Amino acid sequence: MLAGILVFASISVALAAKKKKPELEDSRRVVHALNRLTFGPGSGDVERVRSIGIDKWIDEQLHPEKIDDAALQARLANFRTLNMSSREMAERFPPNQLIKQVVDGKLAIPRDPDDRLVYLAALDRYDQKLVNKEKKIEAKDAKASTEQASAPDNEVSDVERQRRREARQHGEQIATQIASLPPEQRIAAMLRLSDDDRRDLLRINDSTRAGLIEGMKTADQEAVLAMRNPTAVVSDELTQAKLLRAFYSQRQLEEVMTDFWFNHFNIYLDKGADHYFVTEYERDVIRPHVFGKFKDLLKATAHSPAMMFYLDNAESVGPNSAAALGIPESLQRPMRRGPFANANPQTQSKKNQQKGLNENYARELMELHTLGVNGGYTQKDVTEVAKVFTGWTIEGPRQGGGFRFAERRHEPGAKYVLGEKIKEDGEKEGEQVLEMLARDPHTAKFVCTKIAMRFVSDAPPQSLIDRMADTWEKKDGDIREVLRTMLKSQEFWSPESYRAKVKTPLEFVASAVRATGADVTDAKPLVATLIQMGMPLYGMQPPTGYSMKAETWVNSAALLSRMNFALSLGSGRFNGTQVAPELLLGKEAPMDPLSIETTLESDLLAGDVSEQTRTVIQKQFNDPQVLARVSDAVKRAQREGVMEGLILGSPEFQRR
Amino acid sequence: MSITRRVFLKNSALTLVSTAVVPAFLTRAVYGSELPLGKKRLVVIFQRDAADGLNIVVPHGESDYYAMRPTINIPQRDVIDLDGMFGLHPSLASFKPIWDQKHLAIVHAAGSPDPTRSHFDAQDFMESGTPGYKATEDGWLNRALHRKDVANKNEPFRAIALGTNLPRILAGHEPAIAVSNVNQFGVGGNNPAATPAANSFESMYEGSVDSVLHGTGQETFDAVKMLKAADPSKYQPAPGANYPRGHFGDALKQTAQLIKANLGVQVAFTDVGGWDHHVNEGATQGQIANVLREFGQSISAFWTDLGDLQEETVVITMSEFGRTARENGNRGTDHGHANVMFVLGGPVRGGRIYGQWPGLAQNQLYEGRDLALTTDFRRVLGEAVSTHMGNRDLNTVFPNFQNSPKSFLGLLG
Repeated sequence: MLAGILVFASISVALAAKKKKPELEDSRRVVHALNRLTFGPGSGDVERVRSIGIDKWIDEQLHPEKIDDAALQARLANFRTLNMSSREMAERFPPNQLIKQVVDGKLAIPRDPDDRLVYLAALDRYDQKLVNKEKKIEAKDAKASTEQASAPDNEVSDVERQRRREARQHGEQIATQIASLPPEQRIAAMLRLSDDDRRDLLRINDSTRAGLIEGMKTADQEAVLAMRNPTAVVSDELTQAKLLRAFYSQRQLEEVMTDFWFNHFNIYLDKGADHYFVTEYERDVIRPHVFGKFKDLLKATAHSPAMMFYLDNAESVGPNSAAALGIPESLQRPMRRGPFANANPQTQSKKNQQKGLNENYARELMELHTLGVNGGYTQKDVTEVAKVFTGWTIEGPRQGGGFRFAERRHEPGAKYVLGEKIKEDGEKEGEQVLEMLARDPHTAKFVCTKIAMRFVSDAPPQSLIDRMADTWEKKDGDIREVLRTMLKSQEFWSPESYRAKVKTPLEFVASAVRATGADVTDAKPLVATLIQMGMPLYGMQPPTGYSMKAETWVNSAALLSRMNFALSLGSGRFNGTQVAPELLLGKEAPMDPLSIETTLESDLLAGDVSEQTRTVIQKQFNDPQVLARVSDAVKRAQREGVMEGLILGSPEFQRR
Repeated sequence: MSITRRVFLKNSALTLVSTAVVPAFLTRAVYGSELPLGKKRLVVIFQRDAADGLNIVVPHGESDYYAMRPTINIPQRDVIDLDGMFGLHPSLASFKPIWDQKHLAIVHAAGSPDPTRSHFDAQDFMESGTPGYKATEDGWLNRALHRKDVANKNEPFRAIALGTNLPRILAGHEPAIAVSNVNQFGVGGNNPAATPAANSFESMYEGSVDSVLHGTGQETFDAVKMLKAADPSKYQPAPGANYPRGHFGDALKQTAQLIKANLGVQVAFTDVGGWDHHVNEGATQGQIANVLREFGQSISAFWTDLGDLQEETVVITMSEFGRTARENGNRGTDHGHANVMFVLGGPVRGGRIYGQWPGLAQNQLYEGRDLALTTDFRRVLGEAVSTHMGNRDLNTVFPNFQNSPKSFLGLLG
């Protein structure tokens, strides 16, 4: 510990530092800090941090609440689901189960015109599905009786294709008519349409839809988008917001840490009800704790419907609990009001079902969230912890409900976890186990190693982990303090750490957008690019979260995706994202390829370009044939764009 | 770290000589049809997230099976019977003809002996081939290729994984590549205007001192050239090879495509997820039926697609562990132990169930809850690596495991 302090003290004294272990040279320190604590340096960042001073800038980043982030908020203003509760989201952008309840007469169609429009479209889709199913069965029967060779189901006949074309044309006509109305009258006009007309309206292409919603207020716009696919509104807004935050937030370290902790306590967006829980989970469970105490973060995740649904704890029932033994409920639960009263199919249909213990959460809690896989627990501990958490469940999971402790499902009796006796104490048993796990030294080691892997290197030095874990123990798992210890360490600032990390696809895409100063007006194509690169946002199915190691992300297919993305972004051909190399080059843009290249590499990579890469790029643009073709201004801009793309796709840009 | 070591090898004098010569693979790929097709190949399929083997190859002759799974059993009338004791889940109907032709064998109660019930660890062990030992850096499928006596060992498509990421099983010394879409494999897709940029990237990565990116970059550009010469856009699956839609069907279709393009594929890997049925697993219908249908139809389409190449191909399926013998309280199953493996191929002695059946009575279960393990997965894989691929050095492929030919099950003959 003492040695660590001494090393830190020496950083400020440049002379002393030179005699000690090698330190990163000054010019690189700022770049290094930006590479590790942000999603990549944006234009002007290096100068800005240099003028503020690294230490002060780090301190600012550790206290995000003091940083103004209005520009980002303006970009997120159109994404209303970001501020909704899970329940409200499920109501406004209903899943099929909710539509089924309307069909069954258990739920009324909402009165609000926007919601009404969404429900009407969804109800029609539900009806159409039934009709199509019947048609298919008839067709199958007909086929079977004539014993003809059957065409695959997924092939669309010419007749059907023709019908769809006409429907789309009809839809486009309707859209044009409605678009000619004042924006505030358009929702009412869409409500007045017949089901058939409204169905055709859903077939219009994106540009027509953009015209249709132009000038409408945000809620109305969302309703029009939700007509076609209500649940997609939720995931589209969530994923786009994640990227916009990574690109444009001034609170970069908070975004990095939010990403880190979400990945640590991973949830898969496409697992049933989690579709509606994740927005709330990231906002209310992860984000408020990213610099706080680990135990608070852990407890918040344990209580979250998102986690209970994802790792099945919501379904777990103690084998000897009242619920399992069929002891009747002595107390009626209070009546619920609102559209979901009497709308809880779970309690009805599954009431008499046999219930049992589910170990999924208990296992991952110890293996992935706290102790780590070699954290000294056994299968017996897993089973006992599973018993401890019986009864931790969700009130109406399909409707976005919250945490509920169901006493009737709780396994009675004492439990034994990691050699400690947990007395029978209902919900509090779980709290006690979470405290225990958060305090365990295995947890400090395991989580600190992971933090160091994110910020320092794929195989962080043991000395650093030990010091971080030491701070963890002393400061009761205070994450901000653990980060400080790391950021003051010689290991963090050593020359070996400089650009030692290979970027994950998210880090690569975000750093490219930030470096080019691109303006993202539609983040959806970037969301799709990440799917292609093997890192769909909120799309990691197993609870491990995404790997932070180079070997996961360096392979042929991924490398090609990166090069293709780099070229397409640099040359301004990427949909929804505008780059302007002239912005980076400044007003008095140099004319000769050599100086253009030098300026761009300095802006995009702080000049950390190898001789090889530089020579290759210059060679391509010094080619007399290429030069002959770039005589006019447009072509010169294209050339600069390609140059930008080549730098972004270079081996050097793959590291941070 | 395995990447670094691989690159180190690539950079050694010996390999530099071989990469310096004219890229012979180009001519080979173009005139490939004139070369003998004598190469044996192994295709490994991983069912990720622990498939429920007891509902896949159903022990319908065991009354305990029905007693332990009151709501999610496959009723005897629905099982496709194989030998009076075991039968296929009805979603695997497309496997029956292959079984009848004696090209499909089943090994039941097989898997990794490690007791872990963690998906992550168990997958890791099955891919590293060293159960219980986490420090192994490379994968067994990569080590299976590690032979000094093989010519052309640097063919870019010798070891392929369909998908965006190179999986653990293929990490290691031997060059291996991930392909997510054979038709888009290259800089700028099929756009010839991107050629100068592609060349620039190639030179950058070729000359890069970055040990990780240099190696992968070179493998990538070699592969791109080779695939272009083979012209994958013209590919049509064989008649009757109807791949179902979806990720897994696509992956196997492209695997067939690469194999049939005669690019020297020796090992191929792909995976299929969606087996972790803790809640509402389903039985004849439902979740498991759906994912099994996709699994079975994809594999049988692949089999049909291979045509004559069936003769020299072996396909093995595996999953990290099985699921509890009893259904849980949510009409699902939890993490268990032993599982079932399928082995199909021209040289396979099929139409038989291999391995010892441990039984499902309470005292026969592993830890009182799971199907016990009677065949180590390395026994099955070892036989394929040794007998089929001709790599007898099983101590390297599966270290610390006694795997002599005498102990093989006799799956291949």
